[in-house]
Amino acid sequence: MNQPRDFVIPGPVFCIGLAVFAAIYLALFLSSESQAAILVYMAAGGMVLLLNNMSELKPRLSEAIKGNERLCNRLAVAVVLALTAAFHADHYTLFLIGTILLYIVVVLGLNVQLGFTGVINFSCASFFGIGGYTSAMLLSKTSLPPLLALPLGGVCAAVVGSILLLPVLRTSGHYAALVTMAFALLFRIFLEVNDALGGPQGVPVRSMSLAGWDFGSDLVIGDLQMSFYVSYVLLGLVLLCLAFSFVRRIERSWIGLSLDAVRVDETASACFGVDVARWKITAFTIGNFLSGVAGALYAMMLAYISPANFTFGDSLIFLSILLLGGVGNSWGVVMATAVVVLVPEKFQVIQEYRYLIYSALVLLMIVFRPHGILPRKTRIYRPGEAA
Amino acid sequence: MDVGFFAQFVINGLMLGMMYALVAVGFTLFFGVLDVIVFSHGDVVMVGGFTGLSMYFWLERMYPHLSPGPKLLCMALVSMTVIALLGAAVARSVILRLRAAPSLNTLLATMMLGTVLRESIRLFYPDGANPKPFPALLPKWSVEYSGLTLRLDNLILFCIGALLIVSVHLLINRTRLGLAIRAVAQDEETARIMGVNFTLIVLVTFAIGSAVAAFAGLMNGLYYNEINFSMGLLLGAIGFSAAVIGGLGNIYGAILGGFIFAFLQTIGAVALPFASAYKDVFAFAVIIALMAWRPTGLIAEKTSERV
Amino acid sequence: MIRHTTGGKNWVRRWAAACLLVALAAFPAMAKQKVAVGYIGPLTGGVSANGLGGRNSAELAVKLRNEDPSAKYEYDFVALDDECKPNIGVQVATKLAADRKIAGAVAHYCSAVALSAVEIYHRFNLPVIVWGAVHPDITYGHDFKEITRVNGTMINQNETAAKFMRSRGYKTFAIIHDTTDYGKSHKEYFNKFITENGGKVLGVFGVTADQQDFNAELTKIKSLAPDVIYFGGLTPLGVRIRSQMEKLGIPAQFEGTSGIKSDAFIEGLGKELAEGSLSFIEGMPLEKLPRGAFFSAAYDNHGYTQPPEAYGPFAFAAMSLLLDNIEKLGPTRAKLIPAIRATKDADSIVGPISFDDHGQNTVAAISKYVVQDGKWVLWEDSEYASGKRSLKKPQ
Repeated sequence: MNQPRDFVIPGPVFCIGLAVFAAIYLALFLSSESQAAILVYMAAGGMVLLLNNMSELKPRLSEAIKGNERLCNRLAVAVVLALTAAFHADHYTLFLIGTILLYIVVVLGLNVQLGFTGVINFSCASFFGIGGYTSAMLLSKTSLPPLLALPLGGVCAAVVGSILLLPVLRTSGHYAALVTMAFALLFRIFLEVNDALGGPQGVPVRSMSLAGWDFGSDLVIGDLQMSFYVSYVLLGLVLLCLAFSFVRRIERSWIGLSLDAVRVDETASACFGVDVARWKITAFTIGNFLSGVAGALYAMMLAYISPANFTFGDSLIFLSILLLGGVGNSWGVVMATAVVVLVPEKFQVIQEYRYLIYSALVLLMIVFRPHGILPRKTRIYRPGEAA
Repeated sequence: MDVGFFAQFVINGLMLGMMYALVAVGFTLFFGVLDVIVFSHGDVVMVGGFTGLSMYFWLERMYPHLSPGPKLLCMALVSMTVIALLGAAVARSVILRLRAAPSLNTLLATMMLGTVLRESIRLFYPDGANPKPFPALLPKWSVEYSGLTLRLDNLILFCIGALLIVSVHLLINRTRLGLAIRAVAQDEETARIMGVNFTLIVLVTFAIGSAVAAFAGLMNGLYYNEINFSMGLLLGAIGFSAAVIGGLGNIYGAILGGFIFAFLQTIGAVALPFASAYKDVFAFAVIIALMAWRPTGLIAEKTSERV
Repeated sequence: MIRHTTGGKNWVRRWAAACLLVALAAFPAMAKQKVAVGYIGPLTGGVSANGLGGRNSAELAVKLRNEDPSAKYEYDFVALDDECKPNIGVQVATKLAADRKIAGAVAHYCSAVALSAVEIYHRFNLPVIVWGAVHPDITYGHDFKEITRVNGTMINQNETAAKFMRSRGYKTFAIIHDTTDYGKSHKEYFNKFITENGGKVLGVFGVTADQQDFNAELTKIKSLAPDVIYFGGLTPLGVRIRSQMEKLGIPAQFEGTSGIKSDAFIEGLGKELAEGSLSFIEGMPLEKLPRGAFFSAAYDNHGYTQPPEAYGPFAFAAMSLLLDNIEKLGPTRAKLIPAIRATKDADSIVGPISFDDHGQNTVAAISKYVVQDGKWVLWEDSEYASGKRSLKKPQ
């Protein structure tokens, strides 16, 4: 930190350095299996975050990222691609990466609802599930092209969500929380007792195929044999990019402004001619749509879904990701998702204790760091750096 | 269906409703004073049951010849005291700290707290992952009348539950402490100016609500003769639903809500022409519909929402 | 050592070689190749008692093998928790199957989980021996060569159960089942066999797997007044239903499936309430098995505190079978799959194991159990069979 003031590293170089660091860190973390090594990496990650927060690097870093957002987005994609290439034969790691990508899409949707507009939703896992069940049913009962299941999953989630619109619009605060919570509980029990959808047992889901490219079997290009999960990671990445730029565009446009207005003060925005109901409906529907699309792909990747995938507890996990990442902050969400998915998976020592530790950590986080890892005011931040 | 069986359903519903009402009263009290939903409340009920059970085992070992009556009294007192302290500790360490944060944070924090309680019992209570038998300490006397089994223990449980709710009601409406609680509930600032010790009142309120929950836990154990670590989750969700459809912050609302929910579940199980497994789907769907009809509960909040 | 030796290099070399020889002779295990084997079962949740018993038993098989100096490999035991939830099961199955270090696995107590995971094992070509799940489709629902099962299916269970109940003079039945595939299939098979044998089913009630209050269903059943309440499901629900039956004063006989045959069922109810409950399970009880005493002794010697439960011996047998094959053929999955599948009359503590063309062990014996004085006792040995005590009378 003692470098002379006049020596300024150009922003893009900073960002690239950061991306390289993130990629190496993630690669090391994902490839290590010894619990000691993982503990060391986690501690190191925490230290880096802490040091960065305390040092004078932080404002310069955020400056550099803010000035090069386009570059950062591309770098983030590059990091994911690099990791995919590095782990091309490692099924389980790729599965984790795919899960992270799709979870991020769901949380982005939740962000539109809660972070931008302030519409509470305790049932996003249910909408995620509606997407999943839509693709399961479509692929097994019809001969529609599987790709179509993704938008249809989203549409179904949005349509089912619209049943909840009336109570959600009429209620606010804790009352609205109850409506969505009741829906989450109802949805799960409904799936369990409903034989047509496989009951508590769940249903197998056929794999995605795109113009003869079967996602269900390993990819072989020349001598290179790659796990079939590579296909899902790539498609998930495309989906995430679309969702991310969509959400960013909304955030920056006049729509985002209206949504913000509704969140901050409904009465005032109504006075200024903002149609509160309309924007709430919009946000709720967009969020559910994104959850549904992600759910449709997730189901295909998982190849088997059951009601237990989409419980109230899972909705809570999505919500806590959002809260940990910083409500309203898209980059924070990316980071928090990676942490929440990866740490319990890699840090197996805690096996039985993982729920206990996880919930205790989130609890401490909310009490001592109520605005999440990355609060919203710093909208753009270190891309891809996790744990 | 003849009268006896019909009466049996009514009794089942009443017992269930009383249990839900006891849980809902806690939700509504906490909401009254702090405008928060303490979602861990269901798990506090569960911990109450387990505390009572541990006390039972301790008594068995130390005073094996104690008759069931004093034993039960002892269990109830200890469990209610311990859980009251736990409730106050939760308020102190989590709820009060989060006063400035958005209400969603509190909701989520308390959900996590609930998970912590649940998992702790599962992992650290001896053999906590399995359902635990709860001793039947109440007299087992019962009368049988054309399909109806009226049990004395159920009657006792119901009466004590009702007594507890009435005394909470009297405490809030007839005592100085209750006055202070109501003052805090109505306007914190003014209450402080009038010399009410805000923190103390909040802690006391949490202690009261949690003690009632501890009794609900014991009642659950005595009624079903079994407790398990995961019973708190659904109980919490139902207690919350009951408090909300009744109208948050209103004790009558909580009682009403509790009985409505039990009624819906029983109706769902008995009257639905298709599988009785749909009874919870039915109950929750009706709750959602009720919310659409009455967005702030059946007995609406008196004060308008502060902006 | 080298640094301190001033003598000729030759001496040093000889000395070192001697040391090495001694070391090799003393610690043969050090030179063994490491092989990993997997175990999956419910280690947490309501049926974790069975999962933990199975894990201990499977681990015991591995430990015994590692203690055996003549074993060719040193085995690592990897235990994963499926929580009895299909989605978690698919996750851990993927994890295990995708890990190339794992040579084979012994998996699943919960049928719902096993049914969803078999496809994963097939996809990744992992040889898996099922140790506890009883749904027929786990072996008969597909043609995957990777899957075999040492325990029997629920079909045999229910046939025996139905015949037995009829022979005791029970005529009318009410069925409660959980809505998982385990419970639903039990309902189907029992319904089928009891009707064939001249019994009458008065009502069928599906309940969710985490339901607490059964008063509504039981009150309805009370008005139907059946001789027997048959319950298809696992221990936690079994405990609740049995105790609420008592509270409502229902005089019917309580009959369960293999899912309630655990010590946790009796502990959960207490001796008095559990007394006289029936359960049917495939295989013979530990004491009757040729090497049951050996298993019990080894189990206790290795300091396991939880009981092995009903399926522990099966988990032990499955793991031993897997290890035997690895010893013979090496840890290559492709070789293990056909070899395990071709098992005929292999010696095991649960009796000889032979797989049919679907990988199903042909266990003929179904044991009938009744709770007597706080223990599951084989029906034939019980005071109920000798007439000293009696079950609830048909109404």
